[in-house]
Amino acid sequence: MGQQSRFLKIVALLGFVFLYAPIVSLVIFSFNESKLVTVWGGFSTKWYAELFRDPQILEAAWVSIKIALISATLAIVIGTVGSFVLIRFKKFRTKGLLSMMITAPLVMPEVIIGLSLLLLFVAMQGLIGWPGGRGMLTIIIAHSTFGAAYAAVVIQSRLVDMDLSIEEAAQDLGARPVRVFFGVTLPVMAPALLSGWLLVFTLSLDDLVIASFVSGPGASTLPMVVFSKVRLGVSPDVNALATIIIGIVSLGIIAAALEISRSKKHGAER
Amino acid sequence: MTTSQTSTTAKPWDAPDAVPFMQIKNITKKFGSVVAVENVSLDVYKGEIFCLLGGSGCGKSTLLRMLSGFEVPTSGQIIIDGEDQAGVAPYDRQTNMMFQSYALFPHMTVEKNIAYGLKRDGLPKKEIATRVTDILSLVQMDGFATRKPHQLSGGQRQRVALARSLVKKPKLLMLDEPLGALDKKLREETQFELIKIQESLGVTFVVVTHDQEEAMTLSSRIGVMNKGEIVQVGTPHEIYEFPRNRFVADFIGSVNLFEGRIKEDGENHVVIASPEAGTDIYVPYAVSGVEGQQIAIAVRPEKMEISKADLGDMRNRTTGTVDEIAYMGNVSVYHVLLDSGKRVRVSQSNRTRSNEDAPTYGDRVNLGWAGRAGVVVTA
Repeated sequence: MGQQSRFLKIVALLGFVFLYAPIVSLVIFSFNESKLVTVWGGFSTKWYAELFRDPQILEAAWVSIKIALISATLAIVIGTVGSFVLIRFKKFRTKGLLSMMITAPLVMPEVIIGLSLLLLFVAMQGLIGWPGGRGMLTIIIAHSTFGAAYAAVVIQSRLVDMDLSIEEAAQDLGARPVRVFFGVTLPVMAPALLSGWLLVFTLSLDDLVIASFVSGPGASTLPMVVFSKVRLGVSPDVNALATIIIGIVSLGIIAAALEISRSKKHGAER
Repeated sequence: MTTSQTSTTAKPWDAPDAVPFMQIKNITKKFGSVVAVENVSLDVYKGEIFCLLGGSGCGKSTLLRMLSGFEVPTSGQIIIDGEDQAGVAPYDRQTNMMFQSYALFPHMTVEKNIAYGLKRDGLPKKEIATRVTDILSLVQMDGFATRKPHQLSGGQRQRVALARSLVKKPKLLMLDEPLGALDKKLREETQFELIKIQESLGVTFVVVTHDQEEAMTLSSRIGVMNKGEIVQVGTPHEIYEFPRNRFVADFIGSVNLFEGRIKEDGENHVVIASPEAGTDIYVPYAVSGVEGQQIAIAVRPEKMEISKADLGDMRNRTTGTVDEIAYMGNVSVYHVLLDSGKRVRVSQSNRTRSNEDAPTYGDRVNLGWAGRAGVVVTA
């Protein structure tokens, strides 16, 4: 028994090392004095200072955050509507097809999504003159479409579990359908909406491939800028940037985990 | 049909001039080609606790959902307190429902849950507060006002759900398996409390349940449902002692059904030849039927005698072998295999702590029952 548990411990440790060693080394090297990424030259925070003086990166970060905020919000709205149709509507003929189609972007290669959206945008501009050129708007449209698929998956699983009689009880007590939706359904679904939103936000912030396809001049997202910088050789300020992002993401994950464990305690005796 | 119930409660359903509080007229509900409720008509009077009793899928819940407005009848009419409910949305009906799952709002405190319906009516804050406090003390939940549903036990949640559905003083309260989620002990206590609360408020209850014991204790009258139809309506006593057909006899309590044919159709008695029972069964009252007609006689286990000794004074007698004995404490249930191969259940109350003469496994026994113990069922 002792033998076995030691074996398990070692395997687990190796697993975590495999997952986190690159990240840890990245964080450590972001505090490297030396300009050479692979040579340790003493502790310094100068790359962070450098980072905040680089207008290109700051600009790109701001663009990325704006895109992520708007796309996540749009995706949640679309995903919620879609989930309602799929879960709450009585069986209709194309339901199976619709359900498959809404989840298809999850498994579709990003290159294909990016390329097809680009073709669509170009064709639309030729036909109806909108969207005029490629830029932030087209990235937002692209991100909210594939984000909606992820959001729908998260929201659907919550909707399936949700006790319909809660809404009926609200109606029975005199609430009209709109009030039921905003007063009962939405609050009960809130955790799923929040985690869906966070998921899409992260995905959007993260995306390089689709954004590269549908972006235009003047709308470079952070991953695009980082990627182009790295192609000319990794500079330590990218490490600093990555460390900041890791910090933010970790905070988000911790907050989400706390919220989930709290709502699990709530939901357990439902 | 006469009942010997000694209860002094008024029986509006027997009074010729009584006006029903709720009328269901020829209600049918179809889901596609499936008929969930078929041509049900029912009158419920003010202050009643009316139980709809039936197995799963018998249509009782669908009927309840039509009363509360969540399902629209395919045809027929529902009238509550003189008002036709056709086209009235659930949120406009002056009825309330207590859901089987309780359906408490998980994100609201007990207090807010109960106040929800009152707020929708736009009552002043002060009145809402008093009514919430009052109803909480009625269901003995004062002190729990600021808890969330997940902080309550099953029994406590049941009380909150009851309070929430009663606080609007509905004309009619519908309860869907109100005690279904409670354990046996708690259920028994709660049954009587529910009756007390109902009596103190005077609200008419329509209860849906599959638990016949629950229906027997709670209700003023029971409507037994099967396959979307109401097969019999009556007081618990009527339903138990005078089942109208094989289904009701079999569904409520346990029963021994002896199939047979009318052999002798007298003016004030019939004799039924039943090879299954191994004897001719004498029934001391007239039955509408003709000689040779297929008929069944239902005898409850507790109305039969079992003994190793001769049961000479019993009108109907047969013999068999004890196959199984279930000792339940207050009663012992004997499974007796008759010579015809028919299994019969006989229960005897254990009046003494031990009885040496009691039959045991494999004993040849005499079974007997009085003429009036059995009830003839034709359908």
